[in-house]
Amino acid sequence: MAPPEVHHLFHHPIADHSFSADRQTLAVARENTVDLFKRNGNKFQLTDELTGHDKTVTGVDIAPRSGKIVTCSQDRNAYVWEPSADGWKPTLVLLRINRAATCVRWAPSETKFAVGSGARLIPVCYFEEEDNWWVSKHLKKPIRSTITTVAWHPNSVLLAAGSTDGHARVLSSFIKGVDERPEPSAWGERLPFNTVCGEFLNNTAGWIHSVAFSPSGNALAFAAHDSSLTVVYPSAPEQPPRAVINISTQLLPFMSLVWRSEDEIIAAGYDCQAYRLQGSEHGWQLAGSLETKGRPGAQGHREESALNMFRQMDLKGKATDDTKLDTIHQNTITNIRAFEEAGGKVTKISSSGVDGRVVVWTL
Amino acid sequence: MANVNWRTINIDALDPDSPANFDLSTLAPSVTPVATADVQSLASQIRQLLRGGDNEGALRGALENPPCGADDKGKEVHLATVIEILQSIRQSEMSPLLNRIYSSPGGPEALDVLMKYISYKGMGQTSTSNPTRNITPQPTGFSQIHPRGATEGGGQAMSVLLSWHEKLVEIAGPGSIVRVMTDRRTV
Repeated sequence: MAPPEVHHLFHHPIADHSFSADRQTLAVARENTVDLFKRNGNKFQLTDELTGHDKTVTGVDIAPRSGKIVTCSQDRNAYVWEPSADGWKPTLVLLRINRAATCVRWAPSETKFAVGSGARLIPVCYFEEEDNWWVSKHLKKPIRSTITTVAWHPNSVLLAAGSTDGHARVLSSFIKGVDERPEPSAWGERLPFNTVCGEFLNNTAGWIHSVAFSPSGNALAFAAHDSSLTVVYPSAPEQPPRAVINISTQLLPFMSLVWRSEDEIIAAGYDCQAYRLQGSEHGWQLAGSLETKGRPGAQGHREESALNMFRQMDLKGKATDDTKLDTIHQNTITNIRAFEEAGGKVTKISSSGVDGRVVVWTL
Repeated sequence: MANVNWRTINIDALDPDSPANFDLSTLAPSVTPVATADVQSLASQIRQLLRGGDNEGALRGALENPPCGADDKGKEVHLATVIEILQSIRQSEMSPLLNRIYSSPGGPEALDVLMKYISYKGMGQTSTSNPTRNITPQPTGFSQIHPRGATEGGGQAMSVLLSWHEKLVEIAGPGSIVRVMTDRRTV
């Protein structure tokens, strides 16, 4: 297993990060701007800054095929950035929300995107050709609180959303003229806009940090602030789910999760390291950390001389330096994404966190 | 209109979509209501187990039926029962007992309930100086070696809770503390 590739970009929290399809460009949300980095050898170099938001940027997503970048911010705006001859050209999106936007994701079809917000609704935005303008349609019911996370089903119609009211929901965002009629699935057959296909609450009703559909779209996983992860397998439309599996861990809560394959999930959060979870409809369990224990050379035994020990005790009042965590991320991991896929499985993931690092992990 | 103070208008009352205008109970997990009499009869059953020397059975029984749906009185009764069990178990027995509960089916949930009782229900209760509670002699036979008044009795109970807390975190991890803070089903 190759060692993780660590890029310490700056000393600021990273709210969200996204790689372009060729993985040569990295967009990172840093305070009020989005920094664009280009790969140069095995390092990333700052090449461009997208300025326009006047409050903290909370979400950034690069569409893999068109290369368009969507950003959203606490200033209640979203912009779509398109490459042009003289740099990136922003287009304002009419979100019509009166609270901060919290997260944004392109649909796999790239014709629309969903924005989570503190206004208890989800603007689903699409491009209106006639007006040459991005417009939004609101998913409203039955959301009771801030949306913290959104995730798309592979069919680009179903949207999963996690909220601080403790519910993970599956909603339809079907827009006439933009979407094709989806294949019927276990989530539902007829899917007009704002159909609620599922509403799930875990035991403690802790708020949701992350949601994700499995690669096939036939299962939904969500991580909540009660340190648990729940996987839901739907049975048929309007029916109770076939299985709901909840694993409460001994760890601190997970902030983000990705499905590696149908039977494996990678989740990371306040423990500053990523964990592997394995299972199926019949049960899930924690299968350990991605972090290799006792990495050689990372901290190692540098100099164990008596002189050094007493010098340390004199300078710092202790013999060992314990100001660093023994994980690669030195603070909470806020976001993980699939980086590379091969043979229907995610083989590499990227993570970003409060410590200003972006790390690429080989699974 | 000129002399209306805009800042004092309750805008939530005018907005049908406002969070002030929906039923908050839909956000919390459902709990079944429990009568205080049921809690009391459970308490006497548990005391019987305790008298028979079955500490583990008593603790398990108390933790598997937390009266989340009871009123304040019922919750008070159950808290007293749990504290009594905790105080009657010796320090050396704590870890093996918690380990056995954790590895049994339904164990992690039982330990989450225990965490609720230790921190922050138990600690919250003993720290507020409750004179009637502190003056009565402790049923555990803890000798009152500090004749300094009411606060020291609370300190005794607190030290028991603190050592339980330490042992419990070793086994159930910080995850159980986070769950106590997150959970809307209070005990």
